[in-house]
Amino acid sequence: MKSNTVAVGLGILGIIFVIAAILYIVGGILPTFTSSSAAGTHVKHAILSAVLAVASFVAANFARPRTV
Amino acid sequence: MEYIEVTFAQALFMGLLQGASELFPVSSLGHAVIVPTLLHWSFKQSDPSFVPFLVLLHLGTATALLVLYRDQWVVIIRGFFAAAFRGQMRDDNERLAMLLLTGTIPAAVLGVLLENRIKALFVSPSAAAAFLVVNGVLMLGFEWLRRRAERGSTRAEQEQHFAQAERISFRAAAIVGACQALAFIPGISRSGVTIGGGLVAGLRHQEAARFSFLLATPTIFGAGIVEVPQLFASGVPVAEYAVAAVLSGLAAYASARFLLRYFGSGRLDPYGFYCIAAGLVSLALLRFGL
Repeated sequence: MKSNTVAVGLGILGIIFVIAAILYIVGGILPTFTSSSAAGTHVKHAILSAVLAVASFVAANFARPRTV
Repeated sequence: MEYIEVTFAQALFMGLLQGASELFPVSSLGHAVIVPTLLHWSFKQSDPSFVPFLVLLHLGTATALLVLYRDQWVVIIRGFFAAAFRGQMRDDNERLAMLLLTGTIPAAVLGVLLENRIKALFVSPSAAAAFLVVNGVLMLGFEWLRRRAERGSTRAEQEQHFAQAERISFRAAAIVGACQALAFIPGISRSGVTIGGGLVAGLRHQEAARFSFLLATPTIFGAGIVEVPQLFASGVPVAEYAVAAVLSGLAAYASARFLLRYFGSGRLDPYGFYCIAAGLVSLALLRFGL
């Protein structure tokens, strides 16, 4: 599926995951979004968010329409 | 944090058991939970350092897989960066790299989200034994589905009609990857469900095993990165456990070589029957406290 809309959407998703990774690592995300009971640094969630960010950016690059 | 009472001899035994059973479709985690209980060993599987200890053993296995497929991993990693920056896949190696990424993400998401619920299952050898029976039924089910799709009379002819790992669809890779998350449950085999998933997706037995082993490497290393630091923080004899991890790696390397040869003509059936028998016997032994 190649379209600018999909590519932009995946790019935005990637940025959201990057922000989430940063917030998880600095401990800014509330415990509602994690399986633990306390707020704080969540290394596993931060790594997962970073991986999802990379995957989103890769998918966005694949979804980008080619001009050639 | 409480000290895990695993002696050096027990750690070596666990390393050998884990390494030998990790790549066979018989659930190494299930065996790691059931066997110590049946042997009346005193350490607790519910101890917070037990999971990091097992993950350390798993790192031995992952290292063995990395050594086994070292040349392939170089090509896969190069292919990943080339395809990611180009936004296009031009050969089978680049496609395989993207398939492995697609397969790894569902396991990582489910693993992190369900982590605490899954760890609760480590306290129950009976649950692990019951899931071992389920695992056996799954293996037989995968082979039953596979036989329905087979053509030809000899095993070589039957296998010829199925594909290589690089030809699996992205949807199938995501489903196989999600199946990996089931293997966080003690008793359900990671290699079993991924090999089975690969068979249902149309791969040859040998190729399903290869895809399963390649898929295992990033997942296990990922788990290691997040779990092993807890082991260092728990004050256990890490050097002794590291020796067990090396033993685990050696056993895993031998297992992988054997299995890749075995799946040239073999099936999952014997392992399915083994899991059902081992699960039922374990349940009986645990029930009557023998």
